Amino acid sequence: MGATEQAVRTGIDEQPDISKAEHGAAATLTSQAKTPRRVLPIVEILVLLVAVFLPLVLQDYLTVFATRVIILALFALSFDLVWGYAGIMSFGQALFFGSAGYGVALLARDLNVTSIFLVLPAAMLIGLIFSLLLGCFLLLGRNPSSMIFVALGTLTGSYAADRLARGWYYLGGQNGIPSIPPMSLGSTDITEGPVYYYLALGILLVVYLLCRFLVRSQFGLALAGLRENEQRIAFFGYKAQHLKAIVFTVGGTIAGLAGGLYAFHEGFVWPNMLGVVISTQVVLYVLFGGSGTLIGAVIGTVIIEGVSFWLSDNYRDIWPIILGVLLLLVILFRPLGLISFVLGERERVGSFGGRAKGSSHAAP
Amino acid sequence: MGSAFVAAFEILSFGAIIVLVVLGLGIIASMMGIFNFAQGEFVLLGAYITYLAYSHGLPVWVGMAAAPFLVGALGFVLEALIIRRFYAAPIVAMLGTYALGLIIRECVRGLIGGLYLSVPEPIGGSIDLGTVHISAWRFTIIVITILVMIGCYLLLSRTTFGLRVRATLENPALARASGVSTAAMYGTTFAFGAALAGLAGALLVPVFSLFADLGIRFLIQGFVAVMVGGVGSFIGPVAGAAVIGTLSAALPWVMAPVIADILVFVLAIVFIKFRPQGLLSGKGV
Repeated sequence: MGATEQAVRTGIDEQPDISKAEHGAAATLTSQAKTPRRVLPIVEILVLLVAVFLPLVLQDYLTVFATRVIILALFALSFDLVWGYAGIMSFGQALFFGSAGYGVALLARDLNVTSIFLVLPAAMLIGLIFSLLLGCFLLLGRNPSSMIFVALGTLTGSYAADRLARGWYYLGGQNGIPSIPPMSLGSTDITEGPVYYYLALGILLVVYLLCRFLVRSQFGLALAGLRENEQRIAFFGYKAQHLKAIVFTVGGTIAGLAGGLYAFHEGFVWPNMLGVVISTQVVLYVLFGGSGTLIGAVIGTVIIEGVSFWLSDNYRDIWPIILGVLLLLVILFRPLGLISFVLGERERVGSFGGRAKGSSHAAP
Repeated sequence: MGSAFVAAFEILSFGAIIVLVVLGLGIIASMMGIFNFAQGEFVLLGAYITYLAYSHGLPVWVGMAAAPFLVGALGFVLEALIIRRFYAAPIVAMLGTYALGLIIRECVRGLIGGLYLSVPEPIGGSIDLGTVHISAWRFTIIVITILVMIGCYLLLSRTTFGLRVRATLENPALARASGVSTAAMYGTTFAFGAALAGLAGALLVPVFSLFADLGIRFLIQGFVAVMVGGVGSFIGPVAGAAVIGTLSAALPWVMAPVIADILVFVLAIVFIKFRPQGLLSGKGV
């Protein structure tokens, strides 16, 4: 608590004089110089290297599976941002994922729009609109909403959307929308396989870097404070509810992007994509990997989906039970997730004060 | 006249089932501040125990009588082993109980497969009231629900045990100082809530048949009902359950079921947003 408070204070002091970009880069540089053993970048680079070279060694059907994991990791990232950084328990993150999926599926089916430059922004826009509406309703207002209310409100929203999609004939009812035409770039189709894999990986990388920049910026600093002690952040003059609504919307936008990618990759959308099952699955990914570290969300997704795929031949039936037991163990004994085995608490929170210390060394 | 009566009966009996499911959820949420995501799976377990007894040739009512006690015992054990660690953090408690629920649900799914298993009604047939016939079993559910509600109310408001539970809810530190073992109270309350869920599952399985996702169906409705009614009292969740149960049974009679289904949730969430303390804010027991 004390460390955060300190960090918040230094953060506010230096706000006027430096741009965010400089601050972010400089903070990384100086703290790298200061503390020789920084695990986070090593983990990140390792994951990236593995991800880049993976399709070269995988068979085709495994590449398709890996693409799905990459897209789900993008989705997990959105939840991690919302829960791990802003402390909003969004139990209905699939609402944005699924509605964007349905949106682009309808675009492709009814209007024949499949150009990548149109459908992906459309998916993001749908995610943004839905999360903005839901976020404003749940988070803003005269009385700050309780965490329980937000959790149940998002869960109910996702459940209601699921039921709506099941009952609405235009959306295909129980069966969803099958055989969506593939996404196109110019006149070529982007079909599943290595091309789609690298497209998804590229998007994941860009979004990851943007998120990383966001959570290490002044804004991220306020978010960390928000998560640790909301009241104190409010006393500093931040509008805590607005911060939350912004993060919620950013998360919803990313979830929408992931949903659009997922819909075109699978080639169909179905009501489960909106519902409680996927919503809770993404919670599992993030908790398992480690919430509040962006890379934790990615690692959690890869591990859970990978093991699930690996076990699917022999132990399909008991896998959910194992998953439940593992999750319970993680919650009980490793509340910060698997990543906390290699990552210290200090690095998880981040070193926001690095630039300030660096400049005070340089000044005299 | 006849069809209006049948509609009213349908609405009443569905409302009774929701009240029964919510009762346990509401008691745990109000008394302990935990939103128990495993509650739906306790309902499922109650239903499964009833089915198990029936499939082994025992009369259905034996399973129904055993279900609350077995599920209650399981609840007691789980509280002592796991739930106890979650009291400080309500969100973590949600996730932890979700994991528990996942384990229970998938175990039951492994045992029964993806089937829909039906259990006969222990009291079959119908009651004839002039020209209309109503299901005897649904009528029994209504009667049992009313009896259980009165029983819970008396237990909480008229007995020493109820006084201790309420004291623990009101001010744990002072209750401890007065010699009430709050840990034991929490354990008993959780077991009691679980037992109520088991009873609900046992009673509703002849109406809904047994399938692995039985619990989820009621869980979200139950949560919404608890929030609408107001956390922090015994009467609040019951009132919320009555409202939600009545609405979700009544609206499909006047509009398309899909719209009605969603409208209930939307109305409930909007209501909670503007009246977070619920219908009855901490009044009564």
